[in-house]
Amino acid sequence: MDSFLSEKNRIVRQSVRAFCERELMPIAGEIDNEARFPWEVVEKMGKLCYFGIQVPRTLGGAGLDSVNYIILIEEISRACASIGLCVTVHNSVAVYPILAFGSEEQKRKWVPALAAGEKIGAFCLTEPNAGSDAAGIEATAIRDDGNHYVVNANKVFVTNGGIADICLFFVRTDPRAGRRGISVIVVERGTPGFVVGDLEDLCGMRANPVSSIRLYDCRVPKENLLGAEGAGLNIGLAALDTGRMGIAAQAVGIAQAALEEAVRYAKQRRQFGVAIAKHQAVQMMIADMATQLDAARLLVYRAAVLRDKGKPFSQASAMAKNYASETASKVTDMAVQIHGGYGYSKSYPVERYYRDARVTRIYEGTAEIHRMVIARNTLGI
Amino acid sequence: MKFHIIVCLKSVILSMSDKPIDRSPDSCELNPFDRPALETALRMKEKYGGIVTALSMGPENCMFALYEAMAMGVDQGVLVCDSAFAGADTLATSTTLAAAIKKLAPFDLVLFGTRTADSDTGQVGPQTAVLLDLQLVTGVQSIENHGSVIRVERSMDSFREKYEIFLPAALTIHPNSIQARDVGLIGIEVAFEDKEVKKWNLLDLGLSSDRVGEAGSSTRVNSVSRVDKERKCEILTGTNEDQIEELIRRLADSGLIG
Ligand SMILES: Cc1cc2nc3c(=O)[nH]c(=O)nc-3n(C[C@H](O)[C@H](O)[C@H](O)COP(=O)(O)OP(=O)(O)OC[C@H]3O[C@@H](n4cnc5c(N)ncnc54)[C@H](O)[C@@H]3O)c2cc1C
Repeated sequence: MDSFLSEKNRIVRQSVRAFCERELMPIAGEIDNEARFPWEVVEKMGKLCYFGIQVPRTLGGAGLDSVNYIILIEEISRACASIGLCVTVHNSVAVYPILAFGSEEQKRKWVPALAAGEKIGAFCLTEPNAGSDAAGIEATAIRDDGNHYVVNANKVFVTNGGIADICLFFVRTDPRAGRRGISVIVVERGTPGFVVGDLEDLCGMRANPVSSIRLYDCRVPKENLLGAEGAGLNIGLAALDTGRMGIAAQAVGIAQAALEEAVRYAKQRRQFGVAIAKHQAVQMMIADMATQLDAARLLVYRAAVLRDKGKPFSQASAMAKNYASETASKVTDMAVQIHGGYGYSKSYPVERYYRDARVTRIYEGTAEIHRMVIARNTLGI
Repeated sequence: MKFHIIVCLKSVILSMSDKPIDRSPDSCELNPFDRPALETALRMKEKYGGIVTALSMGPENCMFALYEAMAMGVDQGVLVCDSAFAGADTLATSTTLAAAIKKLAPFDLVLFGTRTADSDTGQVGPQTAVLLDLQLVTGVQSIENHGSVIRVERSMDSFREKYEIFLPAALTIHPNSIQARDVGLIGIEVAFEDKEVKKWNLLDLGLSSDRVGEAGSSTRVNSVSRVDKERKCEILTGTNEDQIEELIRRLADSGLIG
């Protein structure tokens, strides 16, 4: 499958796969059921630098490129999508914006611990009244004595929310400036007024502690402003271009797991005297699953290659995310179908894949918003 | 004392097929029996200092096994690679490895896995040691360093044997002696960006072509064919206790448990 990739890419895949098959795959069903975050495995992932894959080596990361990054996310998600989510959000929408927009001081302060997985990052944009319409956020940050911002925010659906230490908050620093009044402020867990809400009782991604986070009159040093005041939406969009590639890779990983399970089951389950894999209707499904999965994967790789070459990749990333998430939904649906009644039961992992796949069409931009963006770019309007 | 440890590695074919297989990272992996040898070398380096060299004979696209070893912490890789080496049996392989090891001198230890997952002869370690005139202990479980000697332990048929041997020496490492470390991402980046694999051919090793590859092999494989094992499934009946009794009796009768 990987014969067109480099040796380095293949070693990344092999080693991540070996680790995830041993450490994550066997517990994925259980932690989904219990909605438990597996610290014991995540700590080991930290030592292997999964949380700093694209961070420069001078800041404690591995300095690998985007293709390796999507291979990492794909492989983790193949074993456990909830942890794939944890790692992709951390790397792409928490660490990357600090690297791209942070000052040298900010990078030195936050990045090494993030790269080592000793601290976990989060991206806090969505609010009860602002989802797709990101510019509609109401959180505020007001300069007080000149050295601090006083931040008030109610952020919902924060991936890693229950465990995150370093959180990027999207806030209004200038309430009158509309879209240009939005800024990003880094707020560390433990700052007085930082309150983590209850964990969401989710349909999928249950091992990820997705929660709300509220800030009540949180006094945050002005040095925690990322980039300039008013640069928030640009930072957010740049982060999401990278983030969407990660979500696309996550969707590919889930679909890959579903295809493998479907193939295994189809060869083993016998009906009408033969393995169901011999029935043409099942073969048609397998063919569609395999083809759509590969197409999705190639779109993701293209986005990553463009990013590594420093070329514009926003459109490629949006297409990859949109197509891969639709594909994951279809492929996991077919995997359930091939399993028949057993596919609808918790005795097999495909029902989990089906639930996990669903949200990839919602977060980091819904399928509808993605199509709007792709259409605008295509139409040039 | 600082060690120079040479670990011999092979990339093995993942699953046998009737068609000829191109050895590549898709069809091959680092021999799982070599991983404990690699780990042993890396732990010794961490404890006593020194360098570890990974040595492999194989086609160019087996290079990845050496990169993987370097990603785990090996300092340098050497691939002995020449079309003349193709079709080597264990003797021709050992001849080639021995020549490369001489070229890597001075060294203190040469480590091997006990066998490979795709041919399973267990001969290459011992043969290479003989060709190099090195003392050899096989199936080693643990190593202690005492200056110019090392104490090694091996267990055989529920006896534990301890040896004290002078360096340089050769050891094959027992597969269950140690669990190899995971490959981390920083290691991979460092392996590809900061380290290198040396490539040596027949000329570099100063061997004549009749001593290596198929020409230098003392054995010939007549044919290889697939053996399909007949599997059968039996369902035991009765109460759970009866079924357990019956299962234990059958396993004991067939010598699988004692
Ligand atoms: C598990 C999970 C993890 C998440 N993690 C994070 C996180 O870490 N950080 C974060 O900030 N957010 C996170 N989110 C939030 C997520 O990004 C939002 O749910 C998403 O952006 C959609 O917003 P919404 O839920 O408010 O839906 P809405 O925006 O209310 O959308 C509802 C429906 O209306 C459609 N719609 C809205 N506007 C338009 C339009 N203009 N044209 C056409 N259709 C439209 C949408 O496509 C959708 O179908 C997470 C969500 C989940 C479920």
